Amino acid sequence: MADPMHQFEIQQVLELPAVAGFDLSITNSALWMIIAAASVTLFFAAASAKAAVVPGRLQSVGEMLYELIHNLTDSIIGHEGKKYFPFVFTLFAFILAMNLLGMVPYFFTSTSQLAVTATLGVLVIAVVIAVGFARNGLGFFKLFVPSGVPFFVLPLVVVIEIISFLVRPVTLALRLFGNMVGGHVVLKVFGGFVVSLGALGALGVVGALVTLTGTVAITALEFMVAFLQAFVFAVLACVYLNDVVNLHSH
Amino acid sequence: MAQTTPELEPGGAIVETPPTTASHDLHESTEAAEHGSSGLTQFEFGYWPGQIFWLLIVFAVLYVILSKLFLPRVGGAIEARAAKIEGDLADARVARDEAERQSAEAAAELAQARARAQKTAADAKAAAKAEAETRNAAEEAKLNERLAAAEAGIQAGREKAMSNVRSLAAETAEAIVEKLSGQAPTRAEVDAAVARNAA
Repeated sequence: MADPMHQFEIQQVLELPAVAGFDLSITNSALWMIIAAASVTLFFAAASAKAAVVPGRLQSVGEMLYELIHNLTDSIIGHEGKKYFPFVFTLFAFILAMNLLGMVPYFFTSTSQLAVTATLGVLVIAVVIAVGFARNGLGFFKLFVPSGVPFFVLPLVVVIEIISFLVRPVTLALRLFGNMVGGHVVLKVFGGFVVSLGALGALGVVGALVTLTGTVAITALEFMVAFLQAFVFAVLACVYLNDVVNLHSH
Repeated sequence: MAQTTPELEPGGAIVETPPTTASHDLHESTEAAEHGSSGLTQFEFGYWPGQIFWLLIVFAVLYVILSKLFLPRVGGAIEARAAKIEGDLADARVARDEAERQSAEAAAELAQARARAQKTAADAKAAAKAEAETRNAAEEAKLNERLAAAEAGIQAGREKAMSNVRSLAAETAEAIVEKLSGQAPTRAEVDAAVARNAA
């Protein structure tokens, strides 16, 4: 059976000279990030080309995605969510594109790389911290001091709040990474079963058919996961942004 | 094979490897990664800097493209549609109000016209009735006159006939008296006698 981990191997596509001792060569992971971003760009170029009052199919899908995230920032962050809408939307569209491209056989899934998901998670938290300080100054630290907590448990609560804040990028990174790796490994293993069982004769073929059905079902599930994880990432980015945007009403 | 693989230092930096051709390097490093390390390729930190670097660049570029170009366009289309629908609704509302106003106006005009027509009809009826009455009265007067004239004529005829009858009676009486007595009575006697019997 093919190694289910082989699909995650990093390969150099274009070697570039190292900068300050860091290898910044374009790998397949970076290549598929670029392809994902290009896909998003092309999609929205096509979807918004006409900007018709009565939208075509492509424009409808583009507007659906737009309104999905727009409603998200609007309902979670409030009317100030408009400012952060482009950031959240870029996150969503980029992750969605990388996830969906990964569903195509022989394509590489950049979001199966911890380096990618961790960077995205840290990016979100970095933006949250930057927005928090820009809007509240040192009042940002009030985020860790919930109001209405009895003073004798306050130190404990503050410690817990700080830990939970620091864990956020980790959970963001691991959730997306785990879902993508897990899904692809399961698909690969099941696909491998179909081949192995199919080679075992008549009974094996029956088993292979059952496994094939399962593989098809899991493929459908993985498409949903690809969308859902991008959406969850966007939702959590909104929730974390809301914490610092509406700090006073905490 | 082994010396062409990027050697990883604890810090994640890569020790320079002897340059080889790109395709060779690709293959060999893949194989080396497969055979060399038992862990996941995701935890080979030597590949992290390049991915992080390109991810940030690609994300920034995509952010600029989406936020400056495409999101305003898509949002603009949505807002334009909402504005158009709102405008069309307002236009329709104005048109409906106008139609209602016109309909009320037409109804009032209709009522007015009906009242006018009723008045005209009533007037005409009254006029016709009055005319008919005067004509009737005139006809009646004429008929009465004719009736009176006819009655007078009849009366005159009767009187004339009566006087004829009296003279005839007088003559007859005169002839009878003369035949009977052989002596002609005077006209005055006969007339007196006729008048006495006729009365």
